[in-house]
Amino acid sequence: MNEPLKLIADTSECLYLQWLIILPLAAGLLLMAVPDRLMLLKGLFALAVSLVAGYLSVVIYTSSPLMTAHGDMARQGCLTFLHSDILGKAGDYLTLTIDGLSKLIVLFISILGCLILLYSLAYNRSVRVKNYYPWFMVTLGCAYGAVLSDNLLLFIIFWGILGITLYKLIPGKDEESSAAAKKTMILIGASDTIMLLGMAILWKMTGSLSIDNISVETTSLLAVTAFLALLVGSFTKAGAFPFHSWVPDYTQGAPATSSALLPASLDKLLGIYFLARITTSLFVMSQGMKLILLIIGVITIITAVMMALMQHNFKRLLGYHAVSQVGYMVVGFGLGSVIGVAAGLFHMINNALYKSGLFLTAGAVERQTGQSEIEELGGLAKAMPVTFAASLIFAMSISGVPPFNGFASKWMIYQGIIDFGTGEGVASSLWIVWLGLAVLGSALTLASFIKFVGGIFLGRADKASSRIKEVPATMWIPMAVLALICIFFGVFATEIVVPRLIAPASGTFFFSGLWSSSFVSLLVAVSIITGVLVYLAAGIKKYRTEDSFIGGERIQDQTAYPTVEFYKTFMEFGFVSRIYRKAENKAFDIYNLSKEAVLWLSDRLSRAHTGVLPGYVLWICAGLVIMLLIMI
Amino acid sequence: MNPLIPLFVAVPLAGAFLIMILGRFIPFLNRYLAAAVLLFLAFISFWSLLTEGADASVYRVGGWEPVNGVPIGIYMVHDSFSALVLCIISLIGLLSVIYSMSYMAGYTSGDYFYALFCLMTAGMNGVVLSGDIFNIFVFLEISAISSYALVAFGVGKNELEATLKYQVMGAIASFLILFAIGFIYWKAKTLNIADIRVAYEEGHDRSYYLLVQLMLLTGFGVKAAVIPFHAWLPDAHSSAPSPISAMLSGVLIKAVGIYVIIRLFFNMFEITEGISVLITTLGAVSMVVGTFLAIGQWDIKRLLAYSSISQMGYVVMAVGIGMILTARGVKSDVAALAITGGIFHMLNHAAFKGLLFLNAGAIEYSVGTRDLRQMGGLAETMPVTSATSFIGSLSISGIPPFNGFFSKLIIIVAAVMGHFYLLAVLAALVSIITLAYFMKFQRYAFYDRQPGKTVQKIKKVPAPMLFSMIVLALVCLLLSLLALPSLRDAILTPAADLLIDQMKYSSQITGM
Repeated sequence: MNEPLKLIADTSECLYLQWLIILPLAAGLLLMAVPDRLMLLKGLFALAVSLVAGYLSVVIYTSSPLMTAHGDMARQGCLTFLHSDILGKAGDYLTLTIDGLSKLIVLFISILGCLILLYSLAYNRSVRVKNYYPWFMVTLGCAYGAVLSDNLLLFIIFWGILGITLYKLIPGKDEESSAAAKKTMILIGASDTIMLLGMAILWKMTGSLSIDNISVETTSLLAVTAFLALLVGSFTKAGAFPFHSWVPDYTQGAPATSSALLPASLDKLLGIYFLARITTSLFVMSQGMKLILLIIGVITIITAVMMALMQHNFKRLLGYHAVSQVGYMVVGFGLGSVIGVAAGLFHMINNALYKSGLFLTAGAVERQTGQSEIEELGGLAKAMPVTFAASLIFAMSISGVPPFNGFASKWMIYQGIIDFGTGEGVASSLWIVWLGLAVLGSALTLASFIKFVGGIFLGRADKASSRIKEVPATMWIPMAVLALICIFFGVFATEIVVPRLIAPASGTFFFSGLWSSSFVSLLVAVSIITGVLVYLAAGIKKYRTEDSFIGGERIQDQTAYPTVEFYKTFMEFGFVSRIYRKAENKAFDIYNLSKEAVLWLSDRLSRAHTGVLPGYVLWICAGLVIMLLIMI
Repeated sequence: MNPLIPLFVAVPLAGAFLIMILGRFIPFLNRYLAAAVLLFLAFISFWSLLTEGADASVYRVGGWEPVNGVPIGIYMVHDSFSALVLCIISLIGLLSVIYSMSYMAGYTSGDYFYALFCLMTAGMNGVVLSGDIFNIFVFLEISAISSYALVAFGVGKNELEATLKYQVMGAIASFLILFAIGFIYWKAKTLNIADIRVAYEEGHDRSYYLLVQLMLLTGFGVKAAVIPFHAWLPDAHSSAPSPISAMLSGVLIKAVGIYVIIRLFFNMFEITEGISVLITTLGAVSMVVGTFLAIGQWDIKRLLAYSSISQMGYVVMAVGIGMILTARGVKSDVAALAITGGIFHMLNHAAFKGLLFLNAGAIEYSVGTRDLRQMGGLAETMPVTSATSFIGSLSISGIPPFNGFFSKLIIIVAAVMGHFYLLAVLAALVSIITLAYFMKFQRYAFYDRQPGKTVQKIKKVPAPMLFSMIVLALVCLLLSLLALPSLRDAILTPAADLLIDQMKYSSQITGM
């Protein structure tokens, strides 16, 4: 990011950038005109367009290392959109640029977009969101636009439209989902407005809106305000504490594809992309800012995963994990070192992969069973083998079990924290706290995913589940692909993925100590195989068969064991239970708190409006008199 | 000189009388004649906007030439600022008339309605074009009195109560304005705005004119519904038939309130820092208090009415920031930016608030209630209303890519650049709360279908109403193009420059 940007030699490549944005947007607008009866046709068309966009992004990814479109070059080749005088000075605002970071994000937007679209073809026949495909394509176009735009103003326009599509991708027919839609739009819109404020301050301080040109020290009060204001935007989009509260509500109410597309992957990619821009390019962070980021990061990790532990609805559970994982990325960027940035980016990519994968498996389960409560499910492993295998892989990835990708990126974050501990300052001296909480969060994640996988797929199947079948191929292929990518990224993290994908975006760095992911994977594989061999070779035949136990009690024959019940003990500690009860009542939700404050003030002010005419006339006279008194 | 200027007033006036006379003999003439009048006005207003240069063009009624440089007779002035206001008057007016063709079909006395509508339009055009304050007062009364009658058009209990409050407070405002005009005439010996400016420059008694300024500010503050002079607005705007609400909120409070305040304080008096700070404060208070009042409402039209107070607060505040900077004589580019933002927001507000009132009317027409708690799930049955009101809601809440985003952006940027950080934060906060109550409107009206409260009868919204709403939604989108630098320089900046360069107006008119 700090390397100098070279001008593009070949302008034709540069044209791809604008087509990447225009194509999905145009397709989206076109599809709006097509009636929803032709759902499948719309889906296929959308898939075709997104494949073309995917091709373009691959071309861009493999082309010249860095390109930007500013200066005169912009006017000649890359000046996008209408090339005429009407735009005049507006050309400066329409500059697109691409560097290692945006390339990476663009590539993964395309991959996830195509896979989720493929999945939607079958899924969206059962779940109806009005104008699903048009809004999907608009989302893709705007996501590309936000990543590629060099000007903050253009960036914030695309960014704002993504809020609208988020709102439109949730059906909002019943009370719950309409409340979630409203809350989401208000929180996202509010963060956009706050970003606007930060952007205005940046503009005032530097006289420029180009991301390339701005680099501000966070020393003055103004700069800190601008930094925090932009941070609010990034945190709300990515879903970090305390602006996260829309994510669980949204994922609970929205169809799985919408959750997989936006809160799980694209919003993460974009939010963290912007976080990367804020922390590495727009601002030079001071120690205090790093401390703020680290604190927010660990709070996000711990609180969200604690909330996830007690969820019964698996879509809501995944929503809380979507929040919790962001904490790791925030910690990574809070370190401010190259390895921290690299770890944050790598974790962002990994998270997008397994989290959207998890939402897709959740959608598959919900589609086949019609249930989204964990208590109602169990023993689906036999009926839905691919979904089970995929979700097991995703669950182990997110919990940071080697050799999956979540482990690799979390390991890098831990390494970054240890490196960071050698530095000076308050934040560095507390490194053991950050490390401890990050590891604790990972353990709790594993705990809650045992509930997810165990509660849904394992245990005894009830009779109704015998009729349940595996999802069609168009739905399991995307899940399987994502799972394979998760394994690949985990096994070859240090050999291929980090040096080839992440390092161009973050800059080069060295691991402290010896770590080779393939070697670790090999060890894991060897130990498993050894175990199997020992089992087979020793011919262990002498074991007794017993019924399952739960906590020392023999399981009842009639009932499947309710996985959720295990977690109740944890919640019944005196202190913890009080906090949980408050959290249940949304006492920590920034949305609810401000809503109550605003409505209280509104009520006070409304009471002054009695509807009595003489009183109102008195206001006019009083206004005039008071103005006179002040002015004289 | 633009020969079309007198037509802006003459045509709607003539239309009003023709409707009353001919309407007796020819049925259904009223609506088509009114539509023809407003179509003509829309045509000439846009034609004048696009063809006139940056200079003001003056029409002297009766051809009275100035004597020794002193203007006598009535002057009508068309410049880059009034041109914009004329455009929104005629555009919103035209769409409201088209909308009324179906909406008002259930009411009797169509002749009165359309005649009063034309009369109100004539009054507003007259206020905007008048070059002297006495004629501003006359036209102000024409538009005010016709709007009193239009608010009461439903003649129910609520309508009559609302119009009574509106009349009493309107009368107090008119009284203060007339009084102030008398004061000015006593000292300046002239009523022509440009000439008063000249007399003012030659020497003035500060405290005397301060009283005059405050009386005018209060009087026009009532008309513009600036807090604390706003109490008539929520009742009047919510009780009127919806196309009239669109006219009142979309246009009337701007043409006879904000426009006149801006015109008089920039072009008639010299801007002083004290008055500028006062105006900015009034704007900021309106902006904040209005939005808090709006979020508690469950009646759609009351919610929209309070939100008009808040949005007008933005305009007044932005212009006030420009005034403060001009009075201090610093950062004239930021001052121009602030005023541009204010004017831009005024145009935008006309479009989206007009649209939202028409949406509210369509909902009331089809469901029969304005209470948000009694509706839900209308997105399926009223797709066009739902889509257009979504656009309107996003525009007013300042979400890109709609027009409100750009005007709020300009206002916030100007506030930050001018070091008014508190005002910038307030503007952002109000924008967030605005989004919150429009999302409330969206949720309870169009989504959240609860089994207990299904609406029995849903009337289909007729085509003319749909047409008006769709056009206004497109206008909301197209107005964001004004944010492009080249279009902004062509259309908005001349108006701001005209206001900033304080002597330009009077020198153009008196020829000195």
